[in-house]
Amino acid sequence: MSGNEIEERLEKGTSLWKDAWLRLRKNKMAMIGLWVVIFIFLTCFVFRWFLPQDPNAVALGNEFAPPSAQHWLGTDQLGRDMLTRILDGGQISLLVAIAATCLTVSIGIIYGGISGYVGGRVDGVMMRIVDGLLAMPFLIVVILFRELIEVRVDLIGKFLTSEWGWDKDFVRRFSNIIPLLLAIAAFGWLTMSRIVRTQTAALKRGEFAEAARSLGLSHFRILFRHILPNMLGPVIIYATLTIPSFILYEATLSFIGLGVEPPNSSWGVLIKEGANYLESNVSMLIFPAVVFSITLFAFNFLGDGLRDALDPKAAKD
Amino acid sequence: MRVLPVILLSLFSALLLSCDRRSSIAIATEDNILVIGNSNEPKGLDPHLVSGVLESNLIRALFEGLCVDNPSKDGVADKGVAKDWKHSEDYRVWTFYLNEKAKWSDGEPVTAHDFVFSYQRMLNPKLPSKYADMLYFIKGAEEYNKEKNPDPDSIGAKAIDDRTLELTLRGPIPFLPEITKHYTWYPVPRHIILKFSEGDPATPFTGWTKPGNIVSNGPFQLKDWKIKHYIEVERNPHYWDAGNVQLDGIRFLPISNSYTETRMFLDEQLHITYILPPEMIPYAKEHVPAMLRQEDYIGTRYLRINTRRQYLDNVKVRHALACAIDRAQICKSVRGGNEKPASGVVPPFAGYTVPPGASFDPERGRQLLAEAGYPNGEGLPEFKFLTTDRDVSRRMAEAYMAMWREHLNINVRIQQREWTTYLQDQYDGAYDLAGAGWIGDFLYPTTFLDMWTKDNGNNNTGWHSEDYEAKLKESENSIVPEEKLQLLQDAEKIFLADMPIIPVFWYTTNYLIRPEVEGWHPLQLNNHPYKNVSLKRN
Repeated sequence: MSGNEIEERLEKGTSLWKDAWLRLRKNKMAMIGLWVVIFIFLTCFVFRWFLPQDPNAVALGNEFAPPSAQHWLGTDQLGRDMLTRILDGGQISLLVAIAATCLTVSIGIIYGGISGYVGGRVDGVMMRIVDGLLAMPFLIVVILFRELIEVRVDLIGKFLTSEWGWDKDFVRRFSNIIPLLLAIAAFGWLTMSRIVRTQTAALKRGEFAEAARSLGLSHFRILFRHILPNMLGPVIIYATLTIPSFILYEATLSFIGLGVEPPNSSWGVLIKEGANYLESNVSMLIFPAVVFSITLFAFNFLGDGLRDALDPKAAKD
Repeated sequence: MRVLPVILLSLFSALLLSCDRRSSIAIATEDNILVIGNSNEPKGLDPHLVSGVLESNLIRALFEGLCVDNPSKDGVADKGVAKDWKHSEDYRVWTFYLNEKAKWSDGEPVTAHDFVFSYQRMLNPKLPSKYADMLYFIKGAEEYNKEKNPDPDSIGAKAIDDRTLELTLRGPIPFLPEITKHYTWYPVPRHIILKFSEGDPATPFTGWTKPGNIVSNGPFQLKDWKIKHYIEVERNPHYWDAGNVQLDGIRFLPISNSYTETRMFLDEQLHITYILPPEMIPYAKEHVPAMLRQEDYIGTRYLRINTRRQYLDNVKVRHALACAIDRAQICKSVRGGNEKPASGVVPPFAGYTVPPGASFDPERGRQLLAEAGYPNGEGLPEFKFLTTDRDVSRRMAEAYMAMWREHLNINVRIQQREWTTYLQDQYDGAYDLAGAGWIGDFLYPTTFLDMWTKDNGNNNTGWHSEDYEAKLKESENSIVPEEKLQLLQDAEKIFLADMPIIPVFWYTTNYLIRPEVEGWHPLQLNNHPYKNVSLKRN
């Protein structure tokens, strides 16, 4: 064994992330979940653009058509292409979930980080605010909030189409989910902030934090450069597990008629409409429900696997 | 360790086995109780304060008017509280002779004074009665209700004696017996209402309609009211025709979700459903064809246009919008319940020919749009289409949207609103286009035409026309039945030429009914007299 080889080996030392990746790879269910998530994303956001069908093109007289070369999953109650409706619905559902997660994670980290790092009375007040917000009935607040900002979002949509010349239908489809998204995000960050706060409160007493303080670094730098990276594990785990719950929220709101504006689709809307045809045309319900369930399962398995990989101490096995 | 679950399991199965395994409908049939779906919790049982179809179903079981519906024939008035009636030559003065045996459910007699009291109470401007205009046929009723005349005795309802009621009308109305079948014309118990309202009959919501308090004169009386669970009525022992009442009781279930209701019916929990949702019609046709009923109904589905809005104030634009709606396709593909494409607002009545109005003609629509100055929809803004939050409304809205886009290149945005907001927005004029429907109150075209007059609370289009109202007035004052109908037809022609609403289709009723139910015949108003309904028991 030559000296060079030893050096190379030593240099290769594993990082925390690489360790985690190795552990994740061993978890079969999590890997399947990961591939399914990637697959769903690719079909919804990439493959979708290669399909020529218009998901909102009504063709009366061709309702409930069986799967064919033109309509791979058949057509719905108004003769619209089922596959593109599911994929477009997936775009909305996934976009809401991902964007809402990003927002909740950002708000949660900042709020929880400050609360935990400052501590004392400030911490007490900030956490009691969170407790208060958590006590509010989520659904009702979301409905109120949505009513409140809907008009303003309409104005933004108008601006984009008239001033910047964006495609009207495109803007409509996505501007429509902004109230929904903000409403979900506005109340989704609470648990995240609690997790971050607990972590920060524990980590700030660590030796590395003390070292940073003794070097005279600013509080801002200590908090965001030294303490935060140390708790990315729990944050990522929690974020992955919130994505499916947000998809579910979107579906719930759409199911009770507060979701996207017709004629656009989302998974919640498709399932709601499909449920009416449970007896007569069960495929209306089956197709969206299967895609929806698979996605939820995949995200949950992936989140579970990530927890085991990033936080071996908390792992079940 | 293993014993406990086994014990529990056997206990549980014993419990299951010991249950009565007959379906709930079999038990109800055995008890001679009819179980019917009634869509929702009623707003109340005071006939003067409600306005919905589901309330009318309850009130028809509890109360009875001067005349009642014939169980199988449309347009025939059977004897109710009145055992006989006659009218003057010109149909302006009607005398009703009340049955001596007619009694309230507490044994008090029903007198002509009860009727006069009822009409005065309903028309009292202080009582928030939404349907007071149903009584405007009585002379002086409108003036009293609109506070132009403060004297309640000025209206044309007089009790000659306890058993004789004389009604003086504002014009010749040959179809008055038809109107008296409507619940707004029913008597209310004067002695009970005065007891609960401490002397002022115009006090609303006094609690006289609560179970235990309410006294009624119909074939049934209120037995039990469990909010969000059921309302049950039982035989009224004092009813004048109690010997001919077949059922021992009726249970009304407030099931607001029609899919749930249909599934309950298929699971043998109901005798009759309130409706059958369009999505389930093909299923019912295939699996329970003998229980499916699809009958003509006096009702019109239409699109209301806010003619006060810019662009929509142009009659050519309105006609263009009407031309782009493929009615036959909507009836077939979206509804599927044998509905008929509507050319006008009045559904086909006996003796009334619907004037040609709206029809599907995209070519003409495009031409009209060009004439109005908007070739190919250019220059027109995006209209907002207001509709309810029901799934079938959404589906119809999506279909209209696609048709306007395809044929006229006009874009609309769908706004689904919850029922009360939807009504309020229309009332406030805060809409461009709105999907709406109207169910007739009695079998005469005026029930569809009177609402489009100026300031009528159900008009909401901002449209009114003096010519139109003159024709209606002229028709009302005519005595010759054919001439009356001809003038109404002229009025509808004026209406359709301006197209403040776009007729889409004429409703049908679609519902499921079990074979045990007898005496439930197709009726255009769908007001089935419960006293003639019976259940076949083995």
